[in-house]
Amino acid sequence: MAPLNPYTYIQCPCSDSASLGRPSDATSPTSADGDEEDNAFDPRAPRANFSLYPLEYLLYCEDCHQIRCPRCITEEIATYFCPSCLFEVPSSNLKSEGNRCTRSCFQCPICIGPLSVTSIEAPPSDPSLLVPDRAGTPHTTYSLICSYCSWSSTEIGIQFDKPNSIHAQLAKIRNGGASRLTAKERKERRKELSHRGGEAALAASSEAAAGQDMDLETQFANLKLFYNSQLADPNAGDNGFSSLGDLGFSSPSSLSRIMNLYTGGKLHDPRAKSKLGAMREAITADEGLLETDLDESSLITQLHQSDFLDTASSTQICSQPPNLGETYIYGAARFNSSLRPVPYLLRTKRSKRCPVCRHIISKPEAKVQTTRFRIRLVAGSYIPSITIRRLNLPGPNGPAAPAILGDLLEPLKPVHFVLTFKNPIFESLKVTLGAPAKTPGRFPSKVTVLCPQFDIDANTDVWDEALKENDRESSGRSRRRAGTESQFQVEVGKIWERGRNWVSIIVEVVPASLKLEPGRDVLKQDEDVLEIPMFVRIEWEAEGGGDDAASGTGRDKDQKEKKELAYWCVLGLGRIKQG
Amino acid sequence: MSSKRHSILPAVSAGPKPPVHFSSSITIAESALLTGTNLITISSESVIHPRAKLDSLAGRITIGRRCVVHERTMIGAIGTSGKVTEQAVTLGDYATVEVAASIEAGNTIIGEGTTVGVGSKVGAGAVIGKHCTLTPHTEVPAGEVIPDFTVIYSNGMRRIDKRGVADLKNKGQARQIDVLRRMIPTNPAKFA
Amino acid sequence: MSRRPPRGEYIETDTGNKVARKATLVGTQNIMLGGKTVIQPEVMIRGDLVRSIQSSSSSSSSGTPNNTAVAIGRYCFLSRASCLRPPGRFYKGAFTYMPLRMGDHVFVGPSSVIQAASIGSHVHIGARVVVGEFAIIKDYVRVLDETVIPPNMVIPSFSIVAGQPARVIGEVPEGGHEAFELRDLYKTVGNNPQPPAS
Repeated sequence: MAPLNPYTYIQCPCSDSASLGRPSDATSPTSADGDEEDNAFDPRAPRANFSLYPLEYLLYCEDCHQIRCPRCITEEIATYFCPSCLFEVPSSNLKSEGNRCTRSCFQCPICIGPLSVTSIEAPPSDPSLLVPDRAGTPHTTYSLICSYCSWSSTEIGIQFDKPNSIHAQLAKIRNGGASRLTAKERKERRKELSHRGGEAALAASSEAAAGQDMDLETQFANLKLFYNSQLADPNAGDNGFSSLGDLGFSSPSSLSRIMNLYTGGKLHDPRAKSKLGAMREAITADEGLLETDLDESSLITQLHQSDFLDTASSTQICSQPPNLGETYIYGAARFNSSLRPVPYLLRTKRSKRCPVCRHIISKPEAKVQTTRFRIRLVAGSYIPSITIRRLNLPGPNGPAAPAILGDLLEPLKPVHFVLTFKNPIFESLKVTLGAPAKTPGRFPSKVTVLCPQFDIDANTDVWDEALKENDRESSGRSRRRAGTESQFQVEVGKIWERGRNWVSIIVEVVPASLKLEPGRDVLKQDEDVLEIPMFVRIEWEAEGGGDDAASGTGRDKDQKEKKELAYWCVLGLGRIKQG
Repeated sequence: MSSKRHSILPAVSAGPKPPVHFSSSITIAESALLTGTNLITISSESVIHPRAKLDSLAGRITIGRRCVVHERTMIGAIGTSGKVTEQAVTLGDYATVEVAASIEAGNTIIGEGTTVGVGSKVGAGAVIGKHCTLTPHTEVPAGEVIPDFTVIYSNGMRRIDKRGVADLKNKGQARQIDVLRRMIPTNPAKFA
Repeated sequence: MSRRPPRGEYIETDTGNKVARKATLVGTQNIMLGGKTVIQPEVMIRGDLVRSIQSSSSSSSSGTPNNTAVAIGRYCFLSRASCLRPPGRFYKGAFTYMPLRMGDHVFVGPSSVIQAASIGSHVHIGARVVVGEFAIIKDYVRVLDETVIPPNMVIPSFSIVAGQPARVIGEVPEGGHEAFELRDLYKTVGNNPQPPAS
């Protein structure tokens, strides 16, 4: 079993509907001591998973004085960029070009490694020739090559004429090298045909469309055009289905509604609503009808002839961009030869807002290359961090072996853990801890917090720390230096160790025995992990006017104001030995 | 001067000095480690980087022409079987063994133009075909036979390299060796 | 030097670098250390693989050829048995090595092999990682253990990557930036190491 490193997860209050958004003040029931035992937080509850986060993942709203987690904050996209070329993509391009890089950044369809554009050199006439003479080659072509798995776009018959704007070039090439029309060209061709007019031209175009493989994009475009024309034509329909009114699938109003859903237009088109009656369906390829090819025998023979390695895996298919010019084989490529290079999905920089007061609590700088943040209110700079260390006291039979992190815990044998609370704020903190005497779950372990109430000194300036470096060494750590751990006695109500802005206390745990009735019960996954819920309440005195500093009413605001924050956290201590 | 020198090499564990047969055009760094009792042959224009270890205790080691053996490689490692065979490891021409790769002894053959990636392990008796690529951290079990042009990637997935650039790669290797020969001070006399 | 009574495990330089005596640094004149960098035993740095052709544009503008093969910033930590080597490629038909540049606060885990073109600042590379030639890792990136980063891959800031080949599997949270700081780790090694701060 994998060893378990001690961890601390903190519960975001957003999962508790009662306290959402309310700043915890002294009168709120959640912080009243009496209630805690009744509704002790159970870290094994199925819902607990969704509200527990490591401290780094939590943000803090200064206005609500509350912890905010990735689930409850609202995000706003500041910048879109390609993760490979790191170019910013304007959001206006996004609607027209989609959410992938349209430059030359592609991922390998086989292994998802990055592809690089490489020139295809003519095979060297003389292998012993060490001097390159590329100048003489009349026409260089380029291919995309994966430097990890050695895949090359020539395997699917795709080569490029120039080394830049590969995305645009790729859109025009089918696997195998045949050219294909881009959406724009298709539109233009259609326009041309309609200009020429006449039945003959129309018939010819539908023939041509049927002749070449229709891909999803073309089909969608054709269908959209067809339905649009149906909607626009006031004479369409009226063939007896009007009794069904607006409810029919083929009624113009429901169609326009559906199409609006997909194309993101206005939800209700008042013009369409007035119309009644059904309209006809697409009947030619030009209108977007594609006959399903039920004859799969050729595919089956191809499968028979090919190797397992030639077929595409489901992960490979999933990473394929949707309908990027693939021929329509029910949306899925079966062979590696039909996979296409995957343009990189864009990534974003996002700012985050508090869900309650709407204040921004995290805002990165918009430029792609900078890593600075304009606003970054992280919980780690407001609430104390908790680190866990196992303490080995000498047993009755000689000194204990040094504790190893991830060691299994002996059942029914008391163990001690040192919890170190580090104060990040510039005020001294008063910490009150509460933990149920027995952990929830089938195997209750006994928990005793030996020192549930203590003060932590303020986090002084970084420079002070540097200046007091030596001083701290002598005073802060004096207790540990004075005697080694083995000489220490664990005392109830006493702080174990204290430093500049941190305090260590001891928690005694008697792990439960994981004895199961033989043959009747099995240990559930991670049920042997000893997790203790702990309620943490911190109190501090903030500079006055923290709430409405903007009002600036004067000196009286400078008075110290009492602040309080309370939350549950879960301490994962280790695995209990079985059997 | 002496206190400033960082590249003090720890004393090499003095194993038996193996008989060697070097071509005059090879480049072998002084800090390469050659141990064992059987013959080590290195053919023309091959490059042995510093700290590469060749161990011929379990049989002869033959390195072909224009091979590059990078630092920290272990060629001829005695595998779990510990068998001694006449021929421990054979590297075909233009083979590359990248950083920290290890090739176990026991009639192991690396084909021409094959690249053994960073940190890869080739088991005893494995036969790797020509122009194969083992991506970093690939493990080839003992006795495995890998056909020509195979690429092993992503923890053992296999495919066939269809780029058709074998000649080009060999040409590139030759050019790379040209550069390396100027950079790595060679001292074949040390091993003779 | 006789002033240093016992020979410690590390050589500590004026700029605060701590270089293990058992590290293998080849071509030291081409290795630049920014200061306060820790190089643990068995680390190998290939400073001898210098650029063999100067790019025509830069050599004409600056008279002296820049021979730096590996440039490392401040507070980097190279764990035991890791290996840094400049990446090599063909440039205008000739083979050349290019410099490997590393920012500040870069942690390289044990037995990792780095052949990147550039690594930003505040980067954590786990154990047994392979960074392929000419990969570019930007700032605040966490590379998990056993990752293989393919050649030429670009990893944007605030990514968590893993897998063979590497893919971005997550984002570094806002509160996780401070964890990349290596000042404290720097103090814990050397000839008179300090215990880790609690």
